[in-house]
Amino acid sequence: MIEPLLTSRMTAHPADSHTIARYEATGGYDALRKALKMKPEEIAAEVKASNLAGRGGAGFPTGVKWGFLAPATPRYLVINADESEPGTFKDRQLLERDPHQLVEGIVIAAYALNTNRAFVYIRGEYPRPARRLHAAIEEARTAGYIGDDILGSGFALEVTIHLGAGAYICGEETALLNSLEGLRGEPRIKPPFPAVAGLYAKPTIVNNVETISNMPWIVTHGGAAYDAIGPEGSRGTRLFSVSGHVERPGNYEIVMGMTWRDLIYDLGGGVRDGKALKCWIPGGASAPWLTPEHVDEPITIQACTRLGTMLGSGGIVVMDETTNVVAAALSLVRFFAHESCGQCTPCREGTSWLERILERILHGRGRMSDLDLLLDVSDNISPGLRWPPAMTTICPLGPSAVSPITSIMANFRDEVVAMIAGEVPAGV
Amino acid sequence: MSEMVKVTIDGVEVEVPAGELIIKAAQDHGTYIPRFCWHPRMEPVGMCRMCLVEVETPRGRGLITACTQRVAEGTVVHTKSEVVKKAQEGVLEFLLINHPLDCPVCDRGGECPLQDQTLSHGPGESRFVEEKRHFEKPIPISDLVMLDRERCILCARCTRFSDEISGDPLIEFLDRGNYTQVNTFPDEPFASYFSGNTVQICPVGALTATPYRFRARPWDLEAVESTCTMCSVGCRVSVQASQNQVLRLLAVDSEPVGHGWLCDKGRFGYEYLRSPARLETPLVRGDDGELREAAWGEALSVAAEGIKGVVARHGADAVAGLGGARSTNEEAYAFGKLLRGVIGTGNLDARMGDALDPALMATGEARGLIGDLERAKTVLVWGPDLKEELPVLYLRVRRAATALGATLVVIHPRVTGLDREATHVVRYRPGEGAALLDRLARGDGDLAAVREALTAGPVVAIVGRAGLTESPDLAAAVVAFAAGLPDASVLPVTRRGNVYGAVDMGMAPGLLPGRVLADQAGRDELAAAWGLSVPEPGRDADGILAGLADGSVRGLLLLGADPVAENPDRAAAVAGAEFVVSLDLFVNDSNRAADVILPVVGFSEVEGTVTNLEGRVQKVNRVAPGIGQSRQATEVLGDLAVLLGGSLGGPADALFKEISAVAPAYRDITWDGLAWSGGRDGILASNSGLSLPRPGSDIDSPAPGLALHLGRVLYDAGTMVTAGPSLAKLAARPMAHLHPDDAARFGIEDGGWAKVSAGSGEAVLPAAVDPSLAPGTVYVPFNFALALSGNSVEVSAATGPGDAP
Amino acid sequence: MWTDEQVASRQSPVPSQSASARSGGWALSYWRLETGDWRLMTWSPATVERAEAILALYPNPRSAVMPLLYMAMHEEGRLTDEGMQEVARWTGVSSAQVLAVASFYTMYKQHVGRHLVSVCRSISCHLLDSSAVIDAVADEAGVPAGETAADGSITVESVECIGACGGAPAVQVDYEMVEGMTPDKARALVRWLLDERPETVRSDDLQERFGGARSFDWGPADSAEAVGPFPAYGPYGTVGGSG
Repeated sequence: MIEPLLTSRMTAHPADSHTIARYEATGGYDALRKALKMKPEEIAAEVKASNLAGRGGAGFPTGVKWGFLAPATPRYLVINADESEPGTFKDRQLLERDPHQLVEGIVIAAYALNTNRAFVYIRGEYPRPARRLHAAIEEARTAGYIGDDILGSGFALEVTIHLGAGAYICGEETALLNSLEGLRGEPRIKPPFPAVAGLYAKPTIVNNVETISNMPWIVTHGGAAYDAIGPEGSRGTRLFSVSGHVERPGNYEIVMGMTWRDLIYDLGGGVRDGKALKCWIPGGASAPWLTPEHVDEPITIQACTRLGTMLGSGGIVVMDETTNVVAAALSLVRFFAHESCGQCTPCREGTSWLERILERILHGRGRMSDLDLLLDVSDNISPGLRWPPAMTTICPLGPSAVSPITSIMANFRDEVVAMIAGEVPAGV
Repeated sequence: MSEMVKVTIDGVEVEVPAGELIIKAAQDHGTYIPRFCWHPRMEPVGMCRMCLVEVETPRGRGLITACTQRVAEGTVVHTKSEVVKKAQEGVLEFLLINHPLDCPVCDRGGECPLQDQTLSHGPGESRFVEEKRHFEKPIPISDLVMLDRERCILCARCTRFSDEISGDPLIEFLDRGNYTQVNTFPDEPFASYFSGNTVQICPVGALTATPYRFRARPWDLEAVESTCTMCSVGCRVSVQASQNQVLRLLAVDSEPVGHGWLCDKGRFGYEYLRSPARLETPLVRGDDGELREAAWGEALSVAAEGIKGVVARHGADAVAGLGGARSTNEEAYAFGKLLRGVIGTGNLDARMGDALDPALMATGEARGLIGDLERAKTVLVWGPDLKEELPVLYLRVRRAATALGATLVVIHPRVTGLDREATHVVRYRPGEGAALLDRLARGDGDLAAVREALTAGPVVAIVGRAGLTESPDLAAAVVAFAAGLPDASVLPVTRRGNVYGAVDMGMAPGLLPGRVLADQAGRDELAAAWGLSVPEPGRDADGILAGLADGSVRGLLLLGADPVAENPDRAAAVAGAEFVVSLDLFVNDSNRAADVILPVVGFSEVEGTVTNLEGRVQKVNRVAPGIGQSRQATEVLGDLAVLLGGSLGGPADALFKEISAVAPAYRDITWDGLAWSGGRDGILASNSGLSLPRPGSDIDSPAPGLALHLGRVLYDAGTMVTAGPSLAKLAARPMAHLHPDDAARFGIEDGGWAKVSAGSGEAVLPAAVDPSLAPGTVYVPFNFALALSGNSVEVSAATGPGDAP
Repeated sequence: MWTDEQVASRQSPVPSQSASARSGGWALSYWRLETGDWRLMTWSPATVERAEAILALYPNPRSAVMPLLYMAMHEEGRLTDEGMQEVARWTGVSSAQVLAVASFYTMYKQHVGRHLVSVCRSISCHLLDSSAVIDAVADEAGVPAGETAADGSITVESVECIGACGGAPAVQVDYEMVEGMTPDKARALVRWLLDERPETVRSDDLQERFGGARSFDWGPADSAEAVGPFPAYGPYGTVGGSG
């Protein structure tokens, strides 16, 4: 087991890991000093060589994304700290406990991308993380790591925090950009992608908090060193949020390739109260569920794709044998219905329809025809019900609402049927 | 213009312009892809998802919205595959689950895209057993528009139109997800001059227009294509009537002019046509001095005898004619021929003193088209507030500045509708325009950047009189300047319906039909063609009114003209005339004292041609008969000519044939060639050799004290607004706008009262503080009711309307 | 959009007060801060100063809509029509455009009490019986979820994921986090809010008094105090204490 790349400082120095004094005392901002002596394109090459994949949910290779950035100016770097995917709370910890790591990553990334303007979009329900990051930015400004002439390099950068206001959809990068422009958080049609026409229609890179927090390590140790960690296709460490029916919920930074058993049973302490595992969500609310036969599968992007699911946002939600899966699915579907922006007809109407069908079933008013109806309504949102999902919508939020439906219908159809038939107590 | 690429649609290879949207490319080749949110004149948003098609990609076929995907060489599209069918049916089912089943009582029933799609693509029966979404049933969101949110399918056409096209973002999507609704801000109604367009483009019955609601079913309507004559832009329309009554106007998309939009004055103004105040029978002044109804024969002979009497007593020079700007070209031509050829007077004008030099209106020098805005790098607007006077031209300029990225320069005494989109805004006090033009031409001081912007061609300059106190010579001077800008197109603009057509028909003293100077040669040629003598040029409108006042003009013919309403100062002059004949739809301030009033038909009741501010000749058509005994003005003028011993040449189509023969600028235009069905959007009159007027240096001078800016507003107190119930409610009330510094100086508060005196007029008006004015300027929206003239005003505080003299 | 001159002279194009049914849409007028005597300003001088600072952070004034909405809430304790109109004037958009944004996001509230108790109902909290916490909070506050007590003291709502899944079930008071809730602790929390009527709340205090297991070690306490039902954030001026 290698030393954690992102969380060792907060573990070793719980009292002051968020301060610039501690950060500098533990090697902080040395990577920035190194980076400023490199050419921007050299840093981008290291990031590309690292094979770091985005940690927000889509898992797109960061270096490749950077490569799409159009040459026009001005151009922007936007940090996506709108962590809202049910089951996910890792970025919150990075923001609160090691904000300078993110600040240093932002300055490095901005330098590499040749931009002088960065925004951090933090969800409105995270005022404490926002305050910590704001304090860190002010400390960094005072110390000369942010400003008009950073460490005498001539490189200038301003970083602005923008608070969201209660909309999961703003985690979708184009919705986030609309929100940052003072608009409703409605995802945009792509193309154009943000790298070509993003914030204010200018070239923009949007990266997740965890993704950018890796920058100091990559610059210090080199892309090749990062690429040496973990299995091919799933390089580096990842922070997973483990919650639900486990003994020891929390964020765990692991090298990918570890099995689900290791994560749930060893790190997470196993299923709560010695109960049996029924299923788990492997990558946030949008991900199709896995079941006990998968516990020895490795935690990699490839294995998840093979199993028809994803690591997504890194939120692992464990459900024990007592779980009412219809109620759990309803909670998830209701989430997506509540968070649908309302632009696309299938998502706006379909997610609410699914919610109401599940609600009926849960309250003893289900019909056997609802079994087909659930799947067909789902199919009209995500044609073919395959993975990765096809969509009749602009963004993947609608198809995300389908994941819990297909999960319960594939794995727990008998329970749904029994509930409709009145054989198990409804309304749990 | 653009490169063509080969695209395969449902197995058929077609050639389409590169970058065309799939939905458009397919439609142009006969494949209709269902859609609700896409509108060809707005940016695609891909929201309703109805137009999903399959496109072949390296990773297999993918579902994608045809309204957002552009074609490239080799694009392969499937619009009818099983996957597409399932997706489209799914979207339709989703749209219907919350849509009410009230088609039988919905205005859209019978012409509803959602209804049509459901019949052709929809599911047989609903699987949705839950309660539908409920909202309060139709709520008024303005005086003209009702909103039924239950019917709304959230296509965002209305909200996008208001934001993207008209720039009045007063209706918006509120809330989100399944609770999303369209609505306005509380107590800020959808008071857009363009609100009717949202009703027309609504794909369901969510937005309905109060003037049309429940008045007809679409299958009962008879429609003709025509041209809106509310202003000189000349938007193409479909006029729809049932049982001989016009019930609505819809915009028809024309590339060169309207782009499928109308202003609400044009769209809803037709109501005046069925006003109970419309004249139904001829009126003749009896021995008791009162107007009484008369038979046509009697009225015409009284009219003819009256004119003959004036000519006999004072000579033909003592007769004058005003009007034609609200008439068709044929009517104006007949009027001019009657005046010049039959009566023998050169005193005639279609302009009421508020327009431009006729040579400017008829010139070909640097003359531009509205369509030039599509390629303009720089647009200069120095003239009226286009949003108030020529609303659809405002939309076209706005499009140039927003969607097309042109640099916009707006020069006006106060804020205009276009300022928000302008790169440079310049203000000036009325009376100081010529000085400003000098400084602009030199690029002095703060105008250097503006001057610099005007060096980037093509430049389109839209020039007119910013206000009614402004000299027409200023507009002429600005046109002369603008004509010299790089690759310049100039549009000299003035508002009144067919004033360009009337001037083209010779209804201005210095011009003969067809943009011919009324010099000896021109008169000789016309005289030969007519077989009648053509007199020397006489007086213009101001000269005629002055002549009436001093007794040198004794007889007056009015064709749809009401000069008094526009300036009450003129009342005495008109009343002093010996004999007045008026052809009109209404009794008004000018013909109230006439000797004979002859009722004529109006818009939608007459077939003919009109000419817009570009010189574009377009048809107006007839869908309803006139009211009562009202007659075609060409017939009435013809009968008068016969009684006066002459002849005008028959009905409208015959007159137009004569115009084509006599008027050089109209030589290539035929009645049949103008038919809308011919696929053309009118025909441009050919440019004349008339050169631009070059006004001298003594154009205007700073007003002593406060300068008066008298500007028009769209809903003024004119007959076409006040005689229809829908627009009458919207008529602007007169107000005095003061710069905050001036307001403070006179102790007048925003919302208080101000006494304004100008020329011989005086009024006590509600006061508004208006920081957009240059200090020392008072703005009063022109409202027909006030006799304010001259360009200098005095202002004092007043306590209320009771202070009025 | 804006001319450089407008930005430089701190004038914002604003919808005119007289934009009424008769004005033909959306007129413009100008608001000069330097000479505020002729233009009604409803915000306090401190908020005006902050609003200017916020506008200066963005390349486009419209981006300031969301921060200014929080400031409008802070100014009046909730979002009012006048507050939204003020935001419209500052940012050069129409009131309807501001409402379109405000109504899209759940945290801009037109009807809200002195304190806002938000109980998470998303999957991890759901699995650990957040519904019992919601019921307890609603019962103790005397209002169902989604409503405000008649005396305006408290608003109760159930919300989607607040990022405290490791400390489920979790609640926020005025967006300050409390993790490891139980129905009893939640009752005690509500009781305390109603009895003590605290002017401000601090998340570390709340967690210590009413919380339980946390998603992770929070580290040292944060001195910032939430002053109302909106996030406490220094640059927006919506914060008390030394935050």
